[in-house]
Amino acid sequence: MSKYPEYKHDKSRAYFDRAVKVIPSGIYGHLGPAEGLWVPVSKWPFFSEKAQGTYFWDVDGNKYLDFMCAYGPNVLGYNDPDVDAAAMKQLKLGNCTTSPSKVMVECAENLVDTVASADWAFFAKNGSDTTTLAVMTARAHTHKKKMFFLKGYYHGDFQWAQKVDYPGILPEDVSNNVIVPWFNLQALEDAYNACDGDVAGLIAQPYDHGNFKDNEVASKEYWQAVRKFCDEKGMVLIFDDVRTGFRLDLQGSDHYYGIKADLICFCKALANGYNMSALCGGEHMKATVSGVTYTGSYWMSAVPFAACIACINKMKKLDTPKMFREKGKKLTDGFVAAGKEHGFDLVVTGEPALFYLRIANDDSLMLHQEWIAECVSRGLFLASHHNHFMNAAVTDDDIKLAIDIAEDAFSVVAKRHPEIKG
Amino acid sequence: MTDSRTLAYINLYAVLGTLENLCELDSKAKELISGLKKPVSICFDVKGGPCATIKFTSKGCRMEDGRQQHDILIPFASCDKFNGMIDGTVTPIPVKGFTKIGFLLKTFVALTDRLTELMRPTEEALKDPEFFALSTKLTFYTIAVALAQVGNQDKIGQASASYMLDGDIAFLIKDGPAATLRVKDHHLVAIKQAPEKPRAIMQFDSLELANDLFNGRINAMECIGRGTVEIRGMLSMVDNMNRILDRVALYLA
Repeated sequence: MSKYPEYKHDKSRAYFDRAVKVIPSGIYGHLGPAEGLWVPVSKWPFFSEKAQGTYFWDVDGNKYLDFMCAYGPNVLGYNDPDVDAAAMKQLKLGNCTTSPSKVMVECAENLVDTVASADWAFFAKNGSDTTTLAVMTARAHTHKKKMFFLKGYYHGDFQWAQKVDYPGILPEDVSNNVIVPWFNLQALEDAYNACDGDVAGLIAQPYDHGNFKDNEVASKEYWQAVRKFCDEKGMVLIFDDVRTGFRLDLQGSDHYYGIKADLICFCKALANGYNMSALCGGEHMKATVSGVTYTGSYWMSAVPFAACIACINKMKKLDTPKMFREKGKKLTDGFVAAGKEHGFDLVVTGEPALFYLRIANDDSLMLHQEWIAECVSRGLFLASHHNHFMNAAVTDDDIKLAIDIAEDAFSVVAKRHPEIKG
Repeated sequence: MTDSRTLAYINLYAVLGTLENLCELDSKAKELISGLKKPVSICFDVKGGPCATIKFTSKGCRMEDGRQQHDILIPFASCDKFNGMIDGTVTPIPVKGFTKIGFLLKTFVALTDRLTELMRPTEEALKDPEFFALSTKLTFYTIAVALAQVGNQDKIGQASASYMLDGDIAFLIKDGPAATLRVKDHHLVAIKQAPEKPRAIMQFDSLELANDLFNGRINAMECIGRGTVEIRGMLSMVDNMNRILDRVALYLA
């Protein structure tokens, strides 16, 4: 008998039925059932009603202990009082105005003070805005054409960052993308030579946190060697810290690995859910980025800047990277032990702040999908094949509850699969 | 956006290959071959393209890859010429098997006409539930085999296949036809039956839904949300198969 009763999603389903009539695929993108990989879809909530701390409630009133954190933006806890107070104060003063608010300057100064490789900050809204600007800037700076990507990359959904077989993408959109394997310096050298040196830069996530596969963390030695390679070749090194930013190191993930990237992209954890992103870089890139034509209607809105300052200050105060490492480790150790009790070989990879899970008992991932679905439908929100996210509102009691639900879900799946011996 | 060589592989293995299923499922096709006293084999040999042999008996037909023992040989000077035969713009000229020319001109042409009737149905014809079911099943088999051809031959399809892991994908219509897309070293093979141990599954809820999807009236993303397209297992394989499926639609349009 399951300790945690399964949730029902009648109202969620009704909203989804309404949604598909007026919104393509109901919920498009990573928050939806198709890209979110909800298997089976009946176990997942479609729409939320409210959120607080590390929990959200769906429209059926079900409560979820959430380790996806809106896929990253929730870094301090939903509705963090300090961030919200700063945002509300700014809202009363003004938000989207003809002359940008002075808070933009304060926000840039805060980022420059915080991020080790930053001498300036250029603001936008989404991660894709900043990765796109970074690639344009690399080309403008070097007057070269090709860009290197590391295998399994994800740098957003703009045309240049998609793959040749995606709908709506032309071969010409991606013809200057060169994909090289992770952790292979010789492959970098070979690819550079194959391009006759016509390479503007390398864009990469700090470590290999691709989906559907165990995540592979990098080493300082690797990144130092890549930094040296880029310097020798005159290539711009771009760190895509959109997902990992401020969760590994408040000074930037390049700092975590002992290097300085030329350009570094931030978004998710920047303002605890207030919509903004930032490209930061060294002084030597400032003149180039100043000349790039790039702007957007809401990119200088003041409220997110105020939220960002409050968010960064609070992350510093709490030392969130240390907290996430410790709590992420405690949580995943508990998951592994709970799985073991029921005969499941749960593999945890990546950084504890962004842990990735895979049940290794079968090579189809079907057992893993069953377990994740049973967790979600009992109030522990995990993702099937994406890394997870820690946030600062997670308490030791939350971790205890998460492990208990996970254990219960393991027992449900084990009962269905007598071939697995606990 | 398409190339004639890939189209020739689709036309031979997927389109003409569906004659196997036509002869098995369609009473009119069964009747056409029932009078055959001896087996007849036709080899289609396309220069710079595919080559396969179809063997007809009074019970049905089977396609085998390559130039097998045959009674009639029809060579094509190019993929374009072969595709022209499928379009009806090129008349095939056999170089061997003149004694069997009657089979080619009567039975074979009648079978392919019947296949066209089912694969390119009129709105009116689809109102008959039996015709609708048969048309959808045959389209399913054509698409299943075309998936492998596009993944192996089409440049963009090859890019999708390059991301696929080894293993069997079950491609199914619930309570209906089933196929396996087998991936090995990024090479795809279609098998017209369900796999024993799939690594990934894509199942359509009904023939009606499959028909709507095949004809572009609805999108798989929406159906996944509705739960009418079920996906499970190594979903990266399904994701890449879906991208190839988009290309298949382009070739079969």
